[in-house]
Amino acid sequence: MATKKLAFMVKTLPYKTEESRLALTHAIASQTVEIYLEDGEMVEPVVAFFGDGVMNCLKNQKAMNTYGVTSIESHLKNSLLLDLKVLICKEDVERLGLSEDSLIMDAEDIGGETKASIVPFTEIMKEMETSDHLLFF
Amino acid sequence: MGELSSMTPTETLDVLGRVCPYPLVLTKKAVEKLPSGGLLKILCDAPASAEDSLPRFAEKQGYKFESTKLDDKGYWEIYIQKS
Repeated sequence: MATKKLAFMVKTLPYKTEESRLALTHAIASQTVEIYLEDGEMVEPVVAFFGDGVMNCLKNQKAMNTYGVTSIESHLKNSLLLDLKVLICKEDVERLGLSEDSLIMDAEDIGGETKASIVPFTEIMKEMETSDHLLFF
Repeated sequence: MGELSSMTPTETLDVLGRVCPYPLVLTKKAVEKLPSGGLLKILCDAPASAEDSLPRFAEKQGYKFESTKLDDKGYWEIYIQKS
């Protein structure tokens, strides 16, 4: 049995770019590729927000009002609904003056059971070191 | 009426309005929670999921699968029984 670990590293701001949306879409879609793989082959995704990328995790995004697009907030909640591992860089949360209360930490309102975690960057580095493929967005 | 559709489902999953990959991923999650022998009924209106990824998933897992397209309603009723 082989498990391929994919790390989706999000460092860009949420809007006027498709990068973080693509990261989440690909991370979610990676959960479906097993049906096309050989028996026993698995894919394990992890999504990490760091640098300016932590801004993707802000609550109460008004993307439809401002940009006419669906919000990253809903994509992030769908990721948690589907039990993806979501990490948010602690140092960057502090650097940007954010608090845990201001961030999307769960998707309980849509039935999600998994929570995001605010972790030191060293933990995100460990995820990168133990991943088979690193994808930066 | 097929073998599975004549049975009372253990759980029903409504993924109407959701497109690929959500129907499959939500189905996988729902099946994981089913007991062995449990029957999941799925309401799905995404053609790629109903006609490709969901039957492929069931086949790969060795689960019983049954699907009926309800043309008048515009969606599929899909049954997956966990082995």
